[in-house]
Amino acid sequence: MPDVNETINGLLNELRRGTIVIGVLSQLYKPQYGYSLVPVLEEKGLSVDPGTLYPLLRRLEKQELLESKWDTNEARPRKYYLLSPFGQEVYTGLCREWRKLIISMEAVMKDSEGGESNGND
Amino acid sequence: MEMIERYIYAVTQRLPEQQRADIKQELQSLIEDMLEERAPAGQASSEDVESVLSELGHPNTLASKYRGYDRYLIGPVVFEPYMTTLKIVLISIAIGLTCIFTIETIFAPIEVLENFVDYIVSLISVGAQGLGVVTIIFALIDYSQRKNAVVNGEKTKGWKPSDLPQIPDRNKQIKLSEPITSIIFTVLFTVICLYSVDLLGVWRSHDGDRSVIPFLNADIFRHYLPIVWGLAALVILKESIRIIIRKRTGKLLSFHIAITVVTTVLVCVMLADPAIWNHDFIQQLEASGILTPGGEGHETVVSIWDGISEWLIMIVGLFALVEIASETYKWYRVKTTA
Repeated sequence: MPDVNETINGLLNELRRGTIVIGVLSQLYKPQYGYSLVPVLEEKGLSVDPGTLYPLLRRLEKQELLESKWDTNEARPRKYYLLSPFGQEVYTGLCREWRKLIISMEAVMKDSEGGESNGND
Repeated sequence: MEMIERYIYAVTQRLPEQQRADIKQELQSLIEDMLEERAPAGQASSEDVESVLSELGHPNTLASKYRGYDRYLIGPVVFEPYMTTLKIVLISIAIGLTCIFTIETIFAPIEVLENFVDYIVSLISVGAQGLGVVTIIFALIDYSQRKNAVVNGEKTKGWKPSDLPQIPDRNKQIKLSEPITSIIFTVLFTVICLYSVDLLGVWRSHDGDRSVIPFLNADIFRHYLPIVWGLAALVILKESIRIIIRKRTGKLLSFHIAITVVTTVLVCVMLADPAIWNHDFIQQLEASGILTPGGEGHETVVSIWDGISEWLIMIVGLFALVEIASETYKWYRVKTTA
């Protein structure tokens, strides 16, 4: 029989994958470099490992949601990312959709309340 | 610190050239940031480095996240037909070589051990070549399909259920036996041309001593072997596509006709070269006693032999015409009944 916690973790990871995009976009109204985002997101309860974050930032840049610039003035050169105007528009739209999603999910979960509270069989 | 460079190298090696420098720099500053969190600048121990690199994960995984797609030579879409074609080709090669081995052993039982070693070596080397040809063909098919998929990406948006293809009618489908037979014969033919062109000829047995009078001049024919390879590759390409599509369409028909014309022309070009024939064929026949000068049938044999190129070219051309006509007819029938 599969382990309940393991299964939950696996499914949760799938759910989280999409939310990370919103999390990242939300923090990039001011320029940040990859690693500075990690504690910021962590503090808000969104843990993301750098091995996922860095490729994601590049992907979002390729999709033109982000702009990037190397800052070589500091001791260590760092690549700063910032929301592009297009990215800001997309982010606003995403937030709107996300709120709708929350309402739908709440309604769905309310319906099932009182039924099986765990999927263990 | 050397380990960090090895890590970054392992990741960037698996990425497209133009992104490498940027990602390298980014990873470098990331790893330094992560190290600094564990120990004051410049004092990181090798354990710290190891823990940071393990947190980043296997270089392969990280690289594939950067790429955002998986790479493969033969994609899942064409993998099944690839395996089918590969099995057919390899089995045909095994059958062909086994035939040659058997025949050679019958002719020269004393050399059985030597022949057997040759047989095993050929199995491996020809098998590897067959594997190579089929893989290259399917890699090309897969590549062009993926490219088309990108171009046609727009089309999938405006998709309508009425665009769905009909469930294939058994009569409209290309029977799998057709391409399979064609591949088997092509491979057998190629194996014979490549390894035992001497076996094509008049076989005779005299006092238990068996020998062959070959039709072709093996030394000259050797120059044509690249064409033989090309022919085999073309036919296998054609049949592979038929195995993948398995439906009679106008496009496939034109492709089939084009390949048939090209292969026929190539075969005729080879046959038309007088140098490939064994010039001493008649003398060897006479010497072996099969043909007596001035005897019955001598004239006929000589006149057939003199005109052999023309005859064969005519036969090959006729075959091609019949093939094209029958394919066109089958396609036409499918089209009109649709």
